Amino acid sequence: MQTIRLKLKEEITSGNAKIPIDVDSLTPDKLFGKNEAEIKAVKVWWGNREENTGDLFDVSVEGEAGSVEEVKIVMEGDLSRVKHIGDGMKAGEIEAIGDVDMHCGAMMTGGKITVRGNADCWAGREMRGGELIIEGDAGDNLCAMYRGEMTGMTGGKVTVGGNAGECAGQYMAGGEILIKGNTSILTGLNMKGGKITIEGDAVMPGADMTGGEITVKGKVLDMMPSFRFVGTTTIEGEEYKKYIGDLAMTEKRAKGVLYVR
Amino acid sequence: MVEITDVVCSLCGCVCDDIVVEVEDNKVTKVKGACAVGKSKLMGHGRIESPAIRENGELRDCSYDEAIKEAAEILAAARRPLLYGWSSTVCEADKVGIELAEEIGAVIDNTASVCHGPSVLAIQDVGLPSCTLGEVKNRADLVIYWGANPAAAHANHMKRYSYISKGYWTEEGKKNKKLIVVDVRKTATAKMADVFLQIEQGKDYLVFSALRALLYGYEDVVPEVVGGIPKKDLLETVKMMKEAKFGIIFFGMGVTHTRGRHNNIVNAIQTTRAAHTHTKFNIMPMRGHYNVAGINQVCTWETGYPFAVDLSRGYAWYNPGEQSATDLLIRRECDAALFIASDPGAHFPGESIRHLAKIPVIQIDPFPNPTTEFANVVIPTAISGIEAEGNVYRMDNIPIRLRKLVDTEYMADEEILERILEEVRAIKEKEGE
Amino acid sequence: MVEELLIRNGVVYDPINGVNGEKKDICIRDGKVVEEVRNPKVIDAEGRVVMPGGVDIHAHIAGGKVNAGRLFRPEDGRKGREAKTKVCRAQSGYSVPNTFATGYRYAKMGYTFVMEAAMPPLAARHTHEEMVDIPILDNAAMPLIDNNWMTMDYVKSGDTDLLAAYIAWMVKATKGYGVKVVNPGGTEAWAWAKNCDLNDAVPYFDVTPAEIVKSLAVANEKFEMPHSIHVHGNMLGHPGNYKVTTSTYDLVKGITPYRDRPTMHATHTQFHSYGGTTWRDFESKAGAIADYVNKNEHVSIDLGSVILGDTTTMTADGPMEYSLYQITGRKWTNHDVELETGSGITPFLYSGKVSVHTIQWAIGQELALLIKDPWKLALTTDHPNAGPFIGYPIIISMLMSKRRRDESAADMHKVIYDRAELPSIDREYDLYEIAIITRGMTAKTLGLHEHGKGHLGVGADADVAIYDMSPEEHDAGKIQKAFLNTKYTIKGGEVVVKDGEVVAAPAGRTFFVTPECDSKLMEEMLVDLKAKFEHYYSVSFNNYPVQDAYVPNPYEIKAPWRS
Repeated sequence: MQTIRLKLKEEITSGNAKIPIDVDSLTPDKLFGKNEAEIKAVKVWWGNREENTGDLFDVSVEGEAGSVEEVKIVMEGDLSRVKHIGDGMKAGEIEAIGDVDMHCGAMMTGGKITVRGNADCWAGREMRGGELIIEGDAGDNLCAMYRGEMTGMTGGKVTVGGNAGECAGQYMAGGEILIKGNTSILTGLNMKGGKITIEGDAVMPGADMTGGEITVKGKVLDMMPSFRFVGTTTIEGEEYKKYIGDLAMTEKRAKGVLYVR
Repeated sequence: MVEITDVVCSLCGCVCDDIVVEVEDNKVTKVKGACAVGKSKLMGHGRIESPAIRENGELRDCSYDEAIKEAAEILAAARRPLLYGWSSTVCEADKVGIELAEEIGAVIDNTASVCHGPSVLAIQDVGLPSCTLGEVKNRADLVIYWGANPAAAHANHMKRYSYISKGYWTEEGKKNKKLIVVDVRKTATAKMADVFLQIEQGKDYLVFSALRALLYGYEDVVPEVVGGIPKKDLLETVKMMKEAKFGIIFFGMGVTHTRGRHNNIVNAIQTTRAAHTHTKFNIMPMRGHYNVAGINQVCTWETGYPFAVDLSRGYAWYNPGEQSATDLLIRRECDAALFIASDPGAHFPGESIRHLAKIPVIQIDPFPNPTTEFANVVIPTAISGIEAEGNVYRMDNIPIRLRKLVDTEYMADEEILERILEEVRAIKEKEGE
Repeated sequence: MVEELLIRNGVVYDPINGVNGEKKDICIRDGKVVEEVRNPKVIDAEGRVVMPGGVDIHAHIAGGKVNAGRLFRPEDGRKGREAKTKVCRAQSGYSVPNTFATGYRYAKMGYTFVMEAAMPPLAARHTHEEMVDIPILDNAAMPLIDNNWMTMDYVKSGDTDLLAAYIAWMVKATKGYGVKVVNPGGTEAWAWAKNCDLNDAVPYFDVTPAEIVKSLAVANEKFEMPHSIHVHGNMLGHPGNYKVTTSTYDLVKGITPYRDRPTMHATHTQFHSYGGTTWRDFESKAGAIADYVNKNEHVSIDLGSVILGDTTTMTADGPMEYSLYQITGRKWTNHDVELETGSGITPFLYSGKVSVHTIQWAIGQELALLIKDPWKLALTTDHPNAGPFIGYPIIISMLMSKRRRDESAADMHKVIYDRAELPSIDREYDLYEIAIITRGMTAKTLGLHEHGKGHLGVGADADVAIYDMSPEEHDAGKIQKAFLNTKYTIKGGEVVVKDGEVVAAPAGRTFFVTPECDSKLMEEMLVDLKAKFEHYYSVSFNNYPVQDAYVPNPYEIKAPWRS
């Protein structure tokens, strides 16, 4: 096992302006095989200039890794302006201690990210595989598509310990999302596959869905007026109402399933 | 006295181009054919008189050269500069602004991000079945204003282009047409309507979905009341939509800025598509500033994207909500800002203004406004459409050239930006040596 | 200062001057090809293929609908991102690249002139604003003049002189190049959500598309117009439309062109060469179309050949785009333009696993291989409709290599062996023929050869492409690579691309035609036109024509009235 510790230097975010740092170049697969000096020399974008990782982060490396799977990156410090953590990562592990900025785990295909705090918008955007655990809240557009695309998350597993923002799982086509708290409006918007479970409440879930499955264990506020009630069913010993929709997409395409307790 | 005809109004997205203006002693003395607000703009009012730089909290008058140099130094040094505004100037200036943004690795954003940005995001999800305003004038027999109150905000809109206008198949004006208004309160426009649907605040999304279900024939699933509107009224609306030969939905900030935001517009467009399975149906945003459509156009053909474009890596990355001006400022991301032809001081949330007070701010504008009160560099300009000419895009994306009516000593936006760009390049070249 | 350049020992293909693979020097002075030079910079082209700069006869690169395509496809924008350099602006996009990328990428393929294929007159300023922002390329744009109420009124009254006056006014007012026709009558019908076949009456106007096409061809030939009418016919993209296509060609038979050129250019013919009655029995009728073109002299065509993959379709043919959107359910933008035209845009994926797309893919190439005389056809993809222009080198390699076609066909839907002719065609293009369909024919058909384009004779513009390949090259992959990135592209005597990189990005020029019309006739026409503005247009007559400021680098071609 190898642990790479990256601790953001305090002075980087202590000025008037809190300028974000993009760390999509700091994934286990990209750092695998590099020694401390080499990692310090990896370029990251800070605003409109490229900087050395070592100039922005305190870097330390412990242990050896025989494969990417054995690489774990631990990110510390004020990560609230660190964007693209684990963006595109293929394997290995990232642990981010604290709140992280946008696009955490975007386009990841494998490996595991654990956020010990909240994740800002677009976490798990276009995720293809792997696991993303957010212990706190997730912002808007969790596991959604990029602007203009018609496919969001297609695979992998995401767990949010707290609440999720607007449009979680938009255009989701596969994979699983579990949200332990509540979700804001339009969870599973345009969803066409995969599974979303909300343990708390949801507002207008399932709008324009054409496939996939959403289960709301709490209350549904503002149920969509374009879903058809088709009967009741039992899930884990509890009775749920089953709806299909969204008929606003025409009956032919309305293949989404929404379970409401 | 000189009379100038076919003058183009540089106020709102209607871009009326049939105004008649009288000019005497290099001053506009009379305006015919414009609405009251347009007339007031064309007649002119208080100006920023001189370029100025803030020193010890006070603005000190200076030369254009000095202000431009100062502005360039601020921008060249910045790590995350924001260039914002662009909707009340001409495309020629917008182009230079984009080049400047590229040169300094800035985020360039325009006022769409606080008005019809949600409409653009919606178009990126589903597209926009639309038309020019003349199509509406000649053909529309059903006009729907949703969350828009043209009687107050776009005074000539109904007369020139929609409900009251007369065209080829609508020779008798409003006698040939029906008007539906959807709003949370009974506005002046709503009072003229054949049908007024009073909707509960924030429930637009639900109502659009209900209309779609009804347009596709699934009456059985729609509840008795949706968003405060009885089902029978929705059914009546759907009947009118289906029976129309040519329907148009105009929507305003009442839909783009309530709960659901850009997804309300996605749903409005989806409703239009559903109606289009029965008859001709179109939809159009009621754009505010006279050239907000134009900066979206220029920014799109030059960078690939219409607003909120981050050029920090030398290529364009686009993600409104992340790179839009208010988000950047509330998150305290920027370390310098340039505002042109816009007034964030009056229109941005308090949190973002507090951040602006801490970073260097450059203002380029003909008129003093709340932004002037905290700007570090203030550069006055010629008024486009009165003192300077150039291209603008009407709300339906029709390009029209603003005319120059009087002479001025003020520099035009385009020239100021070109000079700043030159200075920035000179600074960078020096740094490179 | 005199700028001289000598391109030494290249193997030159210059079809307009009959130069077929001769080892030859090209002398350049002050942006033009000259007899000899004294003190030139020398480019050694020994053993490499040298051609005139490419001339694209039909592509959608600038204007309202291209930009609507960019605007609503940020997902396409992120595909082609390249950071700015000392010479180049930032680039984005694949099927709808930004204006800068459009210029750079064409130049890298050795192209120096592109015709924007459809300019909505009311939004002509927009097209010009974008063309100014396309670096390197010389350009022009064709205004849409077929669904216009004025046109239909004069077609109905049968007054082709007044129609000609209207054409003259419109081409001049838009700073356009010629008469573009797109789904005549059908686009006006689309304003009521309807469409027209060739002999249907246009709703409320009491004329047929056939009458519109014929009248426009007659009116166009009243001037010395460099180009014939440029026609996107009715029923594009419909199974069985090949009969409409040949019937449309028949309409202009017998009309005498002003000079030695066809009276109709029929564009993106692939989309118009369909057999069958539905998508189920859909089949290629490229053979029937090729047969017609082989037997007749009054029609030229361009291919509209398919490039597999994702693209953005866009046309003034509103109803066609609506049909396409109904098939895919993807996003759809429509923009009808008062009294004139319309447009639709929707993304589309051409897949070699889908039978219909496979046949479409075959048809474009079949047309090129079955039409015997390459002077009758041009290489296009109707960019970006059948695929982005950046795919031209793929098509070139297909036409030059039977082997490559066979290998590709083997990976595609097996329907290609039953309902397309392509697998049975052995013909392979040589470089001379490639040069014809990418520069010689296109320049000549547009009348640009008389204005320095598309050839390397003395006096021509010094637009030269030097491809990094030997004339003997038969490897399709290497041919494709060479045609994608030139060794050198020279534009107006200046090296703009070297070793596949853009090294200079000068502004291009805009070519436009000024048809000259009798002032009495013009006055008579203007009475009718001003009435249209007074009552129906939403902009005023005086604000309508494109001001000179929009064309900072003009090249005017006068088209006198034929007495």
